[in-house]
Amino acid sequence: MTVHTITVNINGEDELVEVPGHWTLLQMLRYRMGLTGTKNGCAGGECGACTVMLNGAPVNSCMVLGVECDEAEIITVEGLSQDGQLDPVQDAIIEAGGVQCGFCTPGVLISARALLDRTPNPTEAEIQDALVGNLCRCTGYVRIIEGIKQAAKLQKT
Amino acid sequence: MSREAHPALPEFEYIKPGSLSDAAAFLAEHAGEARALSGGTDIFVRMRDGAFKDKYLVDIKGLAGTDEIVFDPKRGLVIGAAVTMNRVSAHEAVQKHYRLLAEAIDSVASYQLRNRATVVGNICNASPAGDTIGACLLYGGALLVHGVSGERREPLDGFFKGPGQTTLKAGDVVTSLFLPLPPEGFAGTYLKLNRNKRGDLAIVGVSACTYPNKDVPSGLTVKVALASVAATPLVVPEVEELFKTETLTEISSAQAAQIAMNACSPIDDVRGSARYRVMMVRNLTRQALSALEASLK
Amino acid sequence: MTKTDTTTPPSPVGESVPRLDVLEKVTGAAIYTDDIPFGPGLLYARIKRSPHPHAVIKGIDVSKAEQLPGVKVVVTGDDFPKRIGLYLVDKHIFARERVRFIGEPVAAVAAVTEDIAEKALDLIEIDYEPLEAVFDPVYGASKDAPLIHPDLGEYEVPNFIFPQPGTNIANHFKVRRGDVENAWKDCAKIVTAEFYIPHVQHVPIEPHVAVAKFDDDGTVTLWAASQSPFAQRNLIAQSLGISQSDMRVIAPFVGGGFGCKAGVTMEALPVAIASKVKGRPVKLLLTREEEFYTNFVRQALVIKLKMGCDAEGNLVALHNTMYWDGGASTEYGVNITRAGGYNSTGPYIFQNVHTDSLCVYTNHPIGGAYRGFGMSELHTGIEQCIDMLAEEIGMDKVEFRLKNCVKTDDIILTGMTMHPTGLSECIQKVAKAIDWGQKKKPSSPNKLRGKGLALMWKAPSMPPNAGSSAEVKFNEDGTITVGVGGQEIGQGTFTAMAQMVAGVMGVPYDWVRVRGPLDTRYSPYEWQTVASRLTWSMGNAVVAAASDARKQLLDVAADHWEENPDDLDIKSGKIISYVSEREMSVKEVGVYGLPNENFEGWKGGPIVGRGNFMPTYVTNLDFETGQGERAVVHYTTGAQAFEIEIDKETGKIEVINAASAFDIGKAINPELVKAQIEGGIVQGLSSAILEQMILKDGAMQNPSFVDYRIASAVDIPFNHHIDIVEVPQDDGPWGARGIGEHPMVPSAAALANAIYDATGLRLEGPPFSSEKIYLAMLDAGMVE
Repeated sequence: MTVHTITVNINGEDELVEVPGHWTLLQMLRYRMGLTGTKNGCAGGECGACTVMLNGAPVNSCMVLGVECDEAEIITVEGLSQDGQLDPVQDAIIEAGGVQCGFCTPGVLISARALLDRTPNPTEAEIQDALVGNLCRCTGYVRIIEGIKQAAKLQKT
Repeated sequence: MSREAHPALPEFEYIKPGSLSDAAAFLAEHAGEARALSGGTDIFVRMRDGAFKDKYLVDIKGLAGTDEIVFDPKRGLVIGAAVTMNRVSAHEAVQKHYRLLAEAIDSVASYQLRNRATVVGNICNASPAGDTIGACLLYGGALLVHGVSGERREPLDGFFKGPGQTTLKAGDVVTSLFLPLPPEGFAGTYLKLNRNKRGDLAIVGVSACTYPNKDVPSGLTVKVALASVAATPLVVPEVEELFKTETLTEISSAQAAQIAMNACSPIDDVRGSARYRVMMVRNLTRQALSALEASLK
Repeated sequence: MTKTDTTTPPSPVGESVPRLDVLEKVTGAAIYTDDIPFGPGLLYARIKRSPHPHAVIKGIDVSKAEQLPGVKVVVTGDDFPKRIGLYLVDKHIFARERVRFIGEPVAAVAAVTEDIAEKALDLIEIDYEPLEAVFDPVYGASKDAPLIHPDLGEYEVPNFIFPQPGTNIANHFKVRRGDVENAWKDCAKIVTAEFYIPHVQHVPIEPHVAVAKFDDDGTVTLWAASQSPFAQRNLIAQSLGISQSDMRVIAPFVGGGFGCKAGVTMEALPVAIASKVKGRPVKLLLTREEEFYTNFVRQALVIKLKMGCDAEGNLVALHNTMYWDGGASTEYGVNITRAGGYNSTGPYIFQNVHTDSLCVYTNHPIGGAYRGFGMSELHTGIEQCIDMLAEEIGMDKVEFRLKNCVKTDDIILTGMTMHPTGLSECIQKVAKAIDWGQKKKPSSPNKLRGKGLALMWKAPSMPPNAGSSAEVKFNEDGTITVGVGGQEIGQGTFTAMAQMVAGVMGVPYDWVRVRGPLDTRYSPYEWQTVASRLTWSMGNAVVAAASDARKQLLDVAADHWEENPDDLDIKSGKIISYVSEREMSVKEVGVYGLPNENFEGWKGGPIVGRGNFMPTYVTNLDFETGQGERAVVHYTTGAQAFEIEIDKETGKIEVINAASAFDIGKAINPELVKAQIEGGIVQGLSSAILEQMILKDGAMQNPSFVDYRIASAVDIPFNHHIDIVEVPQDDGPWGARGIGEHPMVPSAAALANAIYDATGLRLEGPPFSSEKIYLAMLDAGMVE
């Protein structure tokens, strides 16, 4: 088993990480970096609880090897707020009541952030499409979708 | 999926070759225990599942042109093997000239998965349910393959041999997909029946296209490709044959739908029964052709 | 019962205050079990599972596995002889002598890495002799079926469960009321129907995970994603011969439960393994695949119904036989069968009832609690029959329901008198919201359109003496910490409890803290986080504890001011006197007490309020008749309706409009209540349209998200109108009843009725997939 040493920027900090070649980015974040906000719900690229931003685009971190992230930029849920200031998607999902058990929330927030980055004024259908890969069993999605609509408004002001 | 799936990926060695030749040489040398890695979204699932037991994954991302998507308005489109589905779908030329491909891509799984998954991977995976394969077949696509003995072209017509089976050999690295420029007036549509509204594997997928063609009596070529209803992605040549003489009408669409229905040979699986699939091939083909007919007006 | 005051402003009770736990959940700081670091000593467990649905274990050879470097211990059923179970004690932690379902734990490995543990599993050799298996509960209940538990007669069981030794029937619950056989002749119309409701899974996004460690001092700690830390402590300790007080269960946030993290599913496994490697923490994290096929499932149900009414449309008689597919163990399932029995009329009044609710062992996965256990299944049958009978007698389906539904003071099927209920109001509200009686045209010629409605009732299904307790303590900064043993699984119970404490004590809501993890060493006792019982039961305990703390505060202040405590009150965090008009902040009193004048001694001390609640009035029911004074504590009732379109080309359903109304007594936090209803209806529709565990010879064919689909964000674009009805519960805090489970109970039934309205077809049961609907239309000649 070869352990690779990579440099990766995580939530704005450059990190030197040692990671076995067969470890996923999800394992690397949770078990090497202590970034447990990113959740493991299926390890199969289906549930979206492990969604993180890789070079600005949301990916399932269980579908990316850690070693593939050499020289990459990663943003996890822990990196969404800046200097204690919540991201508009965080504020809005709280306001809308889109959090219940909270296990899908980190992935949902990353998908939402990525959506608003590429589509600042999404339609309801675009929000739904952006969330296809983020399963939630508690909320019925209604308040999550509402929260993202509100976040789009919030970040304009 | 297997009940005995591993909690995480089983051990393997990650190999990052310096060139395509190195990659091809390594893959040939370790035939049966090494696999080319691009997006990984199928490979990782199958490794975790125990279906793939490779010792080595050979990362071809970044090697000679695999990361590029290039459009030549005279020849067509070259999609590098490592270009993600989202990059393809968002590409200006694809939005303009290859709408059918974009439509098919956008039906695959989820946005975040399509940020890793590749069109070339979808093709090489050779799943009968591969959403983008029908479109690529209808465009007359071909793969550019870097083998141990040099480069060659593999037309998609004839590439698929069975579920997961293709004409690729040990040491082959698919570097890109070439899609010729669609004929003037090309229109296409992809109708996919999911269990969910979207984002699911197809119960049945129907890709259909049409374009003006002076060489046939009807003046119009119409083609249909089917997903999830045979051992391989299926083009139905009898449909093209029919429309050499028939124009697109409600009646000919229904005839073509019947032909497509007779051409397919689905199985029962957890997504749907053969009986249902056969009916859906007919209904979706009819719908797809009606949509094309409407688009011609 | 403590008198609570809803009138004093600014009480947060009844207000939609923000949740207590959101900040940590949106920043990734919230800790779930798998997020806890255990250091380099952590061992990883993997489970060797039965590949057979039913077989005798002839021999197990673990010697090769034990020799694999990195393996610390291998265990089998031989190591753990005692059984375990919540109601019927019929299960071994690891199979002994025989296996009874595919996926049953047979042996386990703990190793220094998960990879090594996995490899060691392949080295365990097990010799099986397959036995004839049972996959159909109706056959299973017959005399011809092979016995799955020949020792049923020896199992420990509480006195309200009735196993039938010598059969596969683990519980037979009967209702005999009136004279059904003679009543048919009084019926103008009779309908009969049979439905099959298949197995489904809970699908929390967080898979089951548990970590256990035995320390040298004899204490055992279990960290688990748990709805039931106390029940798990109790059951696991008993089975492993540990004193309950030597075992500690720590339960951080839970990433979704829906019943599957109640009772004991997999949590005993790491504890058992850890007992053989003392000093080392042992973690077991289920794969998503294991989550699907080895975890508690919602039992399948075969329901056979005969229902009749008189010429005026009054319900007269019901004959209801239910065969529950209990699976390989019915330790939890026996009580689901019981609940199915004592609710078997649905929310309707029949003078003549004959019910047999049979919990049948099969060689399927083990049935457990799933959001409103038994009720969605039961109502899917009952509510379709009600529709059929209304049509037969020629009455409007809403009118028929209003006429026959349970009302205040009615005597229900078990002989209990119904408490005040707003079910009729719920029906009217839902009918209005869905424009009942107005048939709209389909949106295109390729569509069929229809409406359907269903009612529901559900009581907390639990032992008669399931109890709650709570404590209220002050912190140095003047904030108040509430100790509870009920779990925050997403429903918002911590928030509701904080609202109640603030409401009782007269302090601002943001002064109150309710936080996990639950810890059986420090948290007050709570039976389980199940049955939608926390708002009501734990709420009562919390109200009592807050009242106690309030009284202590006022006593100290009255003593200090030399006034009568009855003249004092607390408003907005200040103790005030209505006589002297003096005031002081409760923060001054909470921890340090008050100095006497001139500092000659002190009064008071750290305030600790305590409270408990246990219903003391639930009576057992007669085995032969199911009759008794009070079968349950109370019923939450409600109604739901859908307007749908069906695509004639594909059979696909689209829900256009939905309406829900539930009588919950009092909404402590209306937005949280609505959030439960929104989530519940989507879960209900998801199970009704998409979900089924496809079991072939006992083996699940679709144990992954690829093949077991649940509703995603694109599947829910409908208008959902929600009404909250508040007819107070006499013993609920501010009149509240639970609402966690109820919203998904009527969904499948209402959808089935809408499908009938659109197509004229009644299907055997959910899931109402596009395929099932299309092929039914095809067979009926409705499409070509």
